[in-house]
Amino acid sequence: MRNKLLLSILLIFSILFLSSCGKKVPVRQNRVVAAISSDIESTNPLFAFNIDEGTISELLYLSLVQHGWNFSTGNMTTSPMLAKSWDWNKDSSSITLNLRDDVKWSDGQPVTAADVIFSFDVYSDPLVQSRLYGSFKDFYTDTSMHVDLKKTFNEISPYKLTINFKKNTPASFYDIDFPIIPEHVYKNVSRKDFVTAEKEIKPVTDGPFELASWNKNQSIILSANTKSFLYNSNDIEELIFKIVPDYYSQLTQLKRGEIDFMQDIRADDYPLLKRQDDLNFTSLKGREYDYVGWNNLDPEVYKQSKKIVPNKLFGSVVVRTALTYAINRGEILHEFLDNHGEVAFGPVAPIFSSAVDTSLKPLPYSPEKAKQLLASAGWKENKSTGLLEKNGRVFSFTLDIPSGNPRREFAATVIQNNLREIGIKMNIEKLEPEVFFQKMFARELNAWMAGWSVSIPPDLKQFWYSKLDDAPLNVASYQNKTADNLLDEIESSRSENVKDELYKKFQEIIYKDNPVTFLYWIDNLMAYNKRIKNFQLTPLGPFHHCWNWSIR
Amino acid sequence: MRFIPKVWHLIILIAAVIVLLRYNIFINSMLLWIQTIRLIFISPHFAFSQIDFQFLDPLFSSALIIIIPAIILLRHGSKFLQKKIDFTSAVIIILSIFFFLAPLAAGSNPEFQKNLSVTKLLPPFSRIKVLHLKSEPDVVSDQNYFFFLKDLVVKRSFDESIVFADSVVNASNVICYQGGFSIEFPKERVEFHNGSPVVTTKFFLLGTDEYGRDIFSRLIYGARISLFVGLGSVLVSLLLGVSLGFLAGYPGGIIDSMISRITDMFLAFPVIFFIILIIALFGNSIVSVIFVLGFSGWMSLFKIVRGEVISLKNKDYFISARLIGLTKTKLLTKEILPVITAPVIVNLVFQYGNVILAEAALSYLGLGTGSSYPSWGAMIEAGQNYLSQAWWMILFPGLALFFTLLAANNLGKDINVYFNPRLER
Amino acid sequence: MIKEKSADWNSIFILLLKRVLTSVIVLFLMITFLFFLLRIAPGDPSQKFVSPDLSPRLAAMVRQSFDLNSSLLDQYKTFILNLIKGDFGISYTYRIPVIQVIGEFLPFTIIFSLICFIIQLSAGFLLALFVVKKINGTRDKIISQTSIMVYALPSFVIGVALIFIFSVLLNIFPSSGLSSFDFDSFNFFQKMIDYARHMVLPLITLSLGGIAVYYKYLRDNLEEVYNKSFVENLRAHGFEEKVITKKHVIPNAISPLIAVAGVELGLLFGGALITEVIFALPGMGRLTINAILSRDYPLVIGCTFVSGVLIIITNLTADLIKAKMDKRIVKGILN
Repeated sequence: MRNKLLLSILLIFSILFLSSCGKKVPVRQNRVVAAISSDIESTNPLFAFNIDEGTISELLYLSLVQHGWNFSTGNMTTSPMLAKSWDWNKDSSSITLNLRDDVKWSDGQPVTAADVIFSFDVYSDPLVQSRLYGSFKDFYTDTSMHVDLKKTFNEISPYKLTINFKKNTPASFYDIDFPIIPEHVYKNVSRKDFVTAEKEIKPVTDGPFELASWNKNQSIILSANTKSFLYNSNDIEELIFKIVPDYYSQLTQLKRGEIDFMQDIRADDYPLLKRQDDLNFTSLKGREYDYVGWNNLDPEVYKQSKKIVPNKLFGSVVVRTALTYAINRGEILHEFLDNHGEVAFGPVAPIFSSAVDTSLKPLPYSPEKAKQLLASAGWKENKSTGLLEKNGRVFSFTLDIPSGNPRREFAATVIQNNLREIGIKMNIEKLEPEVFFQKMFARELNAWMAGWSVSIPPDLKQFWYSKLDDAPLNVASYQNKTADNLLDEIESSRSENVKDELYKKFQEIIYKDNPVTFLYWIDNLMAYNKRIKNFQLTPLGPFHHCWNWSIR
Repeated sequence: MRFIPKVWHLIILIAAVIVLLRYNIFINSMLLWIQTIRLIFISPHFAFSQIDFQFLDPLFSSALIIIIPAIILLRHGSKFLQKKIDFTSAVIIILSIFFFLAPLAAGSNPEFQKNLSVTKLLPPFSRIKVLHLKSEPDVVSDQNYFFFLKDLVVKRSFDESIVFADSVVNASNVICYQGGFSIEFPKERVEFHNGSPVVTTKFFLLGTDEYGRDIFSRLIYGARISLFVGLGSVLVSLLLGVSLGFLAGYPGGIIDSMISRITDMFLAFPVIFFIILIIALFGNSIVSVIFVLGFSGWMSLFKIVRGEVISLKNKDYFISARLIGLTKTKLLTKEILPVITAPVIVNLVFQYGNVILAEAALSYLGLGTGSSYPSWGAMIEAGQNYLSQAWWMILFPGLALFFTLLAANNLGKDINVYFNPRLER
Repeated sequence: MIKEKSADWNSIFILLLKRVLTSVIVLFLMITFLFFLLRIAPGDPSQKFVSPDLSPRLAAMVRQSFDLNSSLLDQYKTFILNLIKGDFGISYTYRIPVIQVIGEFLPFTIIFSLICFIIQLSAGFLLALFVVKKINGTRDKIISQTSIMVYALPSFVIGVALIFIFSVLLNIFPSSGLSSFDFDSFNFFQKMIDYARHMVLPLITLSLGGIAVYYKYLRDNLEEVYNKSFVENLRAHGFEEKVITKKHVIPNAISPLIAVAGVELGLLFGGALITEVIFALPGMGRLTINAILSRDYPLVIGCTFVSGVLIIITNLTADLIKAKMDKRIVKGILN
């Protein structure tokens, strides 16, 4: 009797499972599933701190203008979005925008100039702590960097307004390029509690997509906004961001068709994946580079007294150049990235084709040359230890890397051996990312490996300017007067051609000084299901213009 | 008479195999012993400046391998050596031999890495070609002879005098083909023998990892790390558990309840969160891993010790022992320690298994000792990244971990039975 | 008779009260310990707000709003005052009250752990019953050996292996997540199947170790009880073996298991972490780890507090059940 019961239960279960498995995951028409590795914290553009949040908020909320990419010059182009046309005044100190009058928020209210002004107000309000706080440098602001609404805006009609910039600032479209939020939804929210109160409010959006549902740590489902002027009946109806933290699970799901799009695929997995016939492959040329940072100043003295004293090991240009010669960058690039990238020699990404100085070539791998240079700087080998020494000091240091990054671990291991071969002892210390970055920004590390993603257009001043307080990202504490002058000129110049020439000059200086050892620009490898048509890839990201995707 | 494999058979067998396979390191380290002793007399200052752990490690292991048979001969009658081999004892013997004789058994530096394009992710039983480059001849002197021997014995993580290659062609120059690349060397830089370049082969028993490092030698050094981490943290737990348990149980009263509450606090902490918290906050050096694992396991020991101490306090012989004037430390060592030994040892062995497991789990979460030490957990973690291309990277450390855990569990059971014969069937 | 009983319950009540009080002290200690540990450790919660795209003034603003600039003791005072009101503060990452964040993740962990607990107990029990007829027979040896091996297998190895076999090779079960996207369009029956399909592999991964533990305990206890003299007596009196097993051996063997079960359930609440990571499940484990890694101080404290409470409650419940079975030990455990 009991056995029969058990048997029947088993039978029922197996039928349940058999019926639900066997077939592949149901392929829904008009739906694209993309993998992201961690959940977003907000869909609101005010608080879109990471890339995924930025992507999603820009799909939900429209900006005044939109950008495209000109591959031949390596520049961004600007085209209408919420603003259908505009006029710059003669000295580019103000712009008059004509807004579209057919855009509605998802609750039916029209999008007007008041929303635009309100957005500037909220974004720049120090109490709100938005991601753009502090970056309204070209505007009239009060001492707390809050945009002065009276001086700045002139609302001519609900669909027409003028924005006045501060005199003699290089104002451009980048200053007004961010998603606009609805005034009528947020106007009564207290600014002090905005960041928490905002979570309680259901998003009211005007973008090409609407937020259909958000399952914490599971998925974010966007559905096409059929009322949007960007909508076309052939377009995809749903875009799902599925949260899959584990890289290998992402890969498995891509192969099984559970997800349609994945980025940041490791080069090692690319060849095997390419056997999959239902996938298309593409890669985005890098604007992200890894580098080995050599602290140009002595971290201990700096920590104690903020005084700038050259680093005992890396303060010398010759030593840094020798280290660059000694590191086999090509091997790391070939073995770990399978050559999906290129060896770097400076901070200007190759995608900015008109700004890159193509006459420069990265220093080759040459341990002999490195030894020579080090010998000329007074570093001699101690026969008994096999290590370089100078005035009784052994050439030995610790390279810090953030944990949880296989590429940097790989590179660090190779570099460790490279340097050991020329008589330098390097220890690797893995720090938990929070600790690593805190120490790096405090300029406490001696040597480290990290990466930067270059913004569009490249903003070099933050990274290389001598006044360390103005350049929080100049963590190598590089200081060079000529470079400073060039950076100042770049900032105030308006002409793209002049800027390009200045960029080139700047690269030459960096090339000579080797403030850090640039390793390589890293391509972002992607794969997407062949069902997706109209997939266009620009340096602005794979989801830029994804509302035009369609399913065969 | 049937042959019954005994423990000492296995020890001798492994020692013999190691000596046979690594005869050149063995002989060279014998020569190095002689040279070092000579130098200590000739120029003691120089000799002592050379002595460090890296240097002593291979010397002692080659000395040990001579001493082992001697010990076996001397203590031939010992119960342990005459024991029949079973799974547990075999694993323990192999582990301890690897622990002590790592430099000899491994034969190469666990971090050795060169010419990635040739050596990366080689499957087990791979062979590759090695081209030898000429090195500058040194002036003959005692010290240089010492360095020469030292180079042969103390394996380094790099070697500029060799080049790995898939194939070597002797044309106008010597050309090495390396996975799609080729490097040329002028003939005068290459070591020649009978008109052709000297090319030897390098054998990777268990294959290589993503850096082209020999998995076999990493596994052996990993045994060291795992044992070191395991024993170290068990020791930390032991010290904490016993001393706090005694401190709480003996005087009783308010101190007891205070320490007990703190223990309860640690018991209410989910262990894995506690470990991750400390590692994340204070870094993951091998020392902090040992401490945090030790620190997370003392509570059960504390409970045992405290319980035993309290129950002992009320027993007649204990009260009389105190009356005749035994001091506290004497009471601890003479009366209390013997009673708590059994449960504590059993607990420790099981905890050892847990610690190794926790270390592996930490590495899995990316919080382990990191790539700077070849721990098994870290190797498994790395192997996971190459699961589809290099199964050997995860299989061998996985098996090693599995067998060690199994042996630790069995050992715990055996000890339990030994102390509580009641359980024996 | 009745009077005695009520007196008994009275003393239990008092002891229980005492136990609850000490638990509160323990939790308070834990929170204080964590509070200071987090703040003296390296790392900075406003680190997320330092990047090339953000103005350096933002990070300073954020730090101030987290109240990280005032002295440690002042921070502690504010924290404790809020805590008394039942307010754990606002999560730095989610920017909503900690209680609310935990509320989203806790139900999953509790349900998941309980199902797993039931599976572990029942499977362990069934296996032990399966071998009980012939202790030390072939069945027993095979299952005992396997259970030791399973116990020695790290859970992440099991998880990865299961995904490889059942998701990649056989394509039977999904490899991660809790539900499909079309979940909302399903009817109730389909929803249950969807959950079931997603939970099969995680449940197996998390259960196997526990099954081995319970099996071993039960089996050893059964063996011990079988060898006791009263069983011999019963046999001598001609009771049927089946009746002896059912009525006398099993009840006697189960009671020592309860303490173990209490501890194991407590561990499950916190220990599902690795399973959650492998299968991308939205539980407390992942929440806590992320909170630790991003230095979300209020959330770390909140999560640990909740886990601590769960562990204390399960231990207490186990003790109470034990006490109900055997009144003599009431005093022993409640002290």
